[in-house]
Amino acid sequence: MNSDFSKPQRQSASGIIVIAAHSVFKILKATIIPIMFAFFKSTGSKFYLLIGILALIIIAIIISYLWYRRFTFFLDKEKQEFIVNKGILNRDQVIIQLDKIQQVNINQNLLQKLIGVYGLKIDTAGASGEEVNIYAIDENAAYNLKDHLLNRAMVDSNRTSSNDASLVQTAEKPVLKVSAFTLLKVGLTSNYGQSLTLMFVFFLYTIQEARHIMDLFELDQDVVKSSVLGLATLFSLAIIVIVLLFTLLAINLVRTFYKYFDLQISKHTHSLLLSSGLIAKKNTLINPDKVQVTKYSQNYFQKKLNLLNMSLKQAQFGQNKTGEELQGNTLEIVGCNAAERDELLKMILQHVPVKGKSFIPNWRFLNLPTFFKLILPVVIFLIVAINIAEVRAYIGLALVYLILGFLMILISFRRHRIAVNQDFIIKTSGIWDVTTEIIQPNKIQAITASQYPWHKSVDVGHLSLHTAAGQIRFKYGNYSEIKQLVNYWLYQVECGNKNWM
Amino acid sequence: MEMFTNEAIDINALPKYEEIALKKPHQDYWKIICLNLAICFLFLGLIAGLLVFFVAKITPYSTLIFSSYLALLIIFFFLFWASFKKRGYAIRAKDVIYKDGIIAETTTIVPLNRIQHIELNEGFFSRIFKLGSLQIFTAGGVSGHLKIMGIPIEEAKNIRDLILNKLDTIDTTDTENVI
Repeated sequence: MNSDFSKPQRQSASGIIVIAAHSVFKILKATIIPIMFAFFKSTGSKFYLLIGILALIIIAIIISYLWYRRFTFFLDKEKQEFIVNKGILNRDQVIIQLDKIQQVNINQNLLQKLIGVYGLKIDTAGASGEEVNIYAIDENAAYNLKDHLLNRAMVDSNRTSSNDASLVQTAEKPVLKVSAFTLLKVGLTSNYGQSLTLMFVFFLYTIQEARHIMDLFELDQDVVKSSVLGLATLFSLAIIVIVLLFTLLAINLVRTFYKYFDLQISKHTHSLLLSSGLIAKKNTLINPDKVQVTKYSQNYFQKKLNLLNMSLKQAQFGQNKTGEELQGNTLEIVGCNAAERDELLKMILQHVPVKGKSFIPNWRFLNLPTFFKLILPVVIFLIVAINIAEVRAYIGLALVYLILGFLMILISFRRHRIAVNQDFIIKTSGIWDVTTEIIQPNKIQAITASQYPWHKSVDVGHLSLHTAAGQIRFKYGNYSEIKQLVNYWLYQVECGNKNWM
Repeated sequence: MEMFTNEAIDINALPKYEEIALKKPHQDYWKIICLNLAICFLFLGLIAGLLVFFVAKITPYSTLIFSSYLALLIIFFFLFWASFKKRGYAIRAKDVIYKDGIIAETTTIVPLNRIQHIELNEGFFSRIFKLGSLQIFTAGGVSGHLKIMGIPIEEAKNIRDLILNKLDTIDTTDTENVI
């Protein structure tokens, strides 16, 4: 394989296996239920069924081979573009400008690991579907290509420094290395919400699939239902809750270990390399200048353990922002301590941000949530309780809810603030997880200031900074101060010639 | 003011966006809003009328339906009038300012060097009244977009050309800096 990628070339030949496996897996996933159905239900010979499955697999392999033959990629040095040709019947060409590349992912799943190849994925800041996915490429070529893709602009601008250095580049000592013990702590203290939804989705999925299987084997639904209910009454509710809690923690731990096992970050010439993963190893290279919003969060437990979760948000275009896409453009770094966080911040933002003048919201911040989240539900509850005798016994709970709820709103009010200095805008917020978001003024795309007419006399208003990776809001601030800040940021964005990408 | 001590500029001497006199949308644009609303309510009224006439179950409620229809009509006209009165725009040397809102007053400012692309739209009614609307897109997602409606078409074209020219000069200076 030539090392500078100036001529069109194919993927590794073993890529055919990876592509074929990929498509067979996809077909199987879509047709597993009908196949099972046919297998158990059909009265005819199962021979034809097997033939059919075999034919499907053969077709998948043929298509994969054609796909492999047609898939070529190369670097156009003159135009600074990476070009991919693909398509079996129709010819598609994807052209990516090198300076638009946001991150390069070098991944290895189980199959790729067995064969000894890597998958390479290029993410651009463009609209969806403009990314390139190379399924199989050997290790050397992958890292070579990555260097070419990410460092091209830099290498060109300072040609005097030897190019070879960047090619033979040996990874420096990792800046951050998360040990298994730290991961254990992370797993026990974070992402409860995500795991909860995952558990819920899994639960729904199981129920749906169980119904399929029951249909399939003609089990009597009532028998199953009554035995499940019997099981439920066997254990008391408390035990079920405890079991659920433990499952939640277990899921959390497994997820954390699967995703972030052996998480390492190292600094290369002009990029940061993040690698992690238990079975499927994931390497992500990003250009620190292209990070739009840097965020870290910490809750009470994590504070005691000196633990932080960071995330780096990159530009997200695309009209329909689906959750999945947003996830893809956010890099999570879990389990760093305060010193490591500062080290990372220094790499991304040049120096550790210092909090400048701090702005706090007006007490009117409390009004809306108090009304909609406390008073309104409690009033509705009381009306119900007065009319229905069964609920009346629980009327005391309303008071507990009021006190707890008000405390939480008060905490969120105390935490909601924005600190501004010449180089950084730092926003903190949160109730349990305290989040800090940091942006540089040159990442601002647009600014919105708004005010309700009844806040005019008390000089209160809201601020929203639009960045390519989402909004940063500051609510119920002093409107005169907000206007002053807006003018200051506009001055910085319009007079500074710093680009945002 | 001791807000930003390590910067040699006086924050109070910076140009103030809130003091810029904003241009109102053209008066004819109100006519377009009225036309659009009228068409919407005509349809709604037609459906309501048909229902009242032909569905026996609904007929007793005709006064209720009619009064709520009237109330909706008045509320909508009032809201649109309020929002029309609040709208205003200004093009400065280095940014675009747009103010709108129905109840709250929202001012959005997009620096020219953050504009990705511009769209000039002319609707059916807009063409009759020789008006157009300018859409300004940034990388800041849907919330960072500006849509300035009801600008006289000649002015809209001028603004578009002005911004495009500015974008070009920004681009060329950028590349010069790099080289």
